[in-house]
Amino acid sequence: MCMRCVELNRRSLLVGGGALAAASITGVAQARIRPQDMVPLIGPGYRPTDADERGLWQLMDRVEEEISGSSLLIKDPAITAYLQQLIGTVGGPAAKDMRIYLARVPDFNAMMFPSGFSVVFSGLLLRMRSEAQLAGVIAHESGHFLRRHMIRSWRDTRRKSDILAIGSMVAGVAGGAAGVNTGDLSQLAQLGTILSLLRYSRQMEAEADAMSVKLLADNGYPAAEAAEVWEQLIGEMDASARYRRRRRERRWDLFTTHPSPESRTADIKASAAEVTVPGRTYNNHRQRYLATIGPIRQMLLDDQVKLNDPGASQFLIETLARDGWNGLLRFYEAEVWRLRNRAGDDARAAQGYAVAVAYPDAPPEAWRWHGLSLIKQGRQSEGRAALARYLSLNPAAPDAPFIQQMIS
Amino acid sequence: MRKLGIAVALAVSVPVAGCVQTRQLADLQFTPPQGDYRLLVMRPDVSVGSVTTGGMVEPRADWTDQARANLTTAIRAQQAERGGQVQILERRDQLPGVSADEIAELERLHSAVGRSIALHKFMGAYLPTKRGRGLEYTLGQDAVELGRRTGYDYALFLYAEDSFASTGRVALQVLGIAGCFVGFCAPNIGGGGQFAYASLVDLKTGEVVWFNVLQAGTQIAGVNMGDIRTPEGSAQLVDRLLNRMKPGRDVRRAAGNR
Repeated sequence: MCMRCVELNRRSLLVGGGALAAASITGVAQARIRPQDMVPLIGPGYRPTDADERGLWQLMDRVEEEISGSSLLIKDPAITAYLQQLIGTVGGPAAKDMRIYLARVPDFNAMMFPSGFSVVFSGLLLRMRSEAQLAGVIAHESGHFLRRHMIRSWRDTRRKSDILAIGSMVAGVAGGAAGVNTGDLSQLAQLGTILSLLRYSRQMEAEADAMSVKLLADNGYPAAEAAEVWEQLIGEMDASARYRRRRRERRWDLFTTHPSPESRTADIKASAAEVTVPGRTYNNHRQRYLATIGPIRQMLLDDQVKLNDPGASQFLIETLARDGWNGLLRFYEAEVWRLRNRAGDDARAAQGYAVAVAYPDAPPEAWRWHGLSLIKQGRQSEGRAALARYLSLNPAAPDAPFIQQMIS
Repeated sequence: MRKLGIAVALAVSVPVAGCVQTRQLADLQFTPPQGDYRLLVMRPDVSVGSVTTGGMVEPRADWTDQARANLTTAIRAQQAERGGQVQILERRDQLPGVSADEIAELERLHSAVGRSIALHKFMGAYLPTKRGRGLEYTLGQDAVELGRRTGYDYALFLYAEDSFASTGRVALQVLGIAGCFVGFCAPNIGGGGQFAYASLVDLKTGEVVWFNVLQAGTQIAGVNMGDIRTPEGSAQLVDRLLNRMKPGRDVRRAAGNR
């Protein structure tokens, strides 16, 4: 139940053959799920009572014990309190029961576990441009919990695999009695089962999207901003692929666990229009969001540019800069060029650092690289001045003695 | 008539397919702890589930709780016979002076090391440079530090999973065997069985000095070779896993030469 999961390999599924036949069993097109139909299936303080769900929760309690103690977590008290408060706002009836953990993983993802705890990757915080966008993702994850998706999909999988096992066995025995080999038929049935499970998974994602739109609007957020998240992601994946001279990987909807970003965008927009009440004011709380993640934003950008994915990094920085350039974004724009290191990138980066230091909020590292670039160009005295500025801004820098030696 | 013959032959061979296997490995210089040693048993990692008709393992909270309690009792009884002083952790924050986080770190480190041992010593991904060298794995300074601060000589890590075929799975198995009479034979769809391992760490050196893997099960759904949900089954698992601790190769050879 995550935002974007590893998808099944299409080719591996096609081995069984007969995809078209199976498609007619499971159906391809899915109608949009309306937000008003999404009522929470659990109330506050929900505890499982059935044996299968209790087993699942016990397992998840162990998982949570490990995750909550993981050294990957960002434990900044202000930010974790902010996330907890956010899930407490858009979490519907279970708002006070859910836990949320922030993991330092520079990737776009968030997930909800069956027992009501959620893990958000730091890469998500980097990508979100407002509290409304982030709340949309968190509301989507809450939707999985409120609609009891994990136990429902477990039961669905169990039921369908039971049917498959019984069906194959009965068909085999019947075929054996009649002297017919039913091997091909049961392979086809297997493919049909997998496709049907995937369809169920996509339907749950669509439900969670619809639920998130409703939760956003109910709490005074502009619901349409949830669609922007997907538009940004499409742009980022395209930019990343373009840099590598590839095309963004597109899979048939039939073979994915999640609906395509395009169809999600379209559905969320349509749903958002339905739930928006004319005359009511909605606030995306962009300033509050930016102020909260301010202390870790440099770390988030740093992790991103070091992924060696210049296409995506550049797109991300430009997307964030739609709300205004600043010294931090300019510095990391230059870092993308420097690390990309194509012909002419050194000059581009040098220019970028020079632009970055013109902003009052430029990070100390911008002065460092500005200084080093100047020295490389032969502008010794200006370069030294910039390095001195770096040291005065960050006297405890790990390379301080080295830089000191350069300028003395 | 021939079909009937095949079916009968299978029916006879089927019970033989069940097996209980243990394989232990020890540090070359390992001697099993004896006399007045102090042993810390880390919280046993236990999971018990039910095998659905389709073959998935569904975790069961009540069975897991039962099994964990029974295993703890069984370990305590087994150690009482050997004469060591033993403490079994049921929670991570149970040791005075050692935080839950430190215990958690050690458990996570061990789960990685234990997985490596299982992979490279038991599951076939053998490392040519490690051949014939016993166990060369260590938990390092963290384990030594734990021993120094608590006064324990050894730490024992225990992992156990057990699963049982559901009624549907058993019915499917019966159908599979019945199919043998008509020429569609699936006598061993399987479902259920035990897998467990134990690992003994010397807290003076931090090294894993002894490791044992237990597999017990059959190819037939509904027939198990043990049941850790019952006190007897837990005692049996502890006995299979821990009671036949052998010394390391060098120690055995030295004993043979004398």
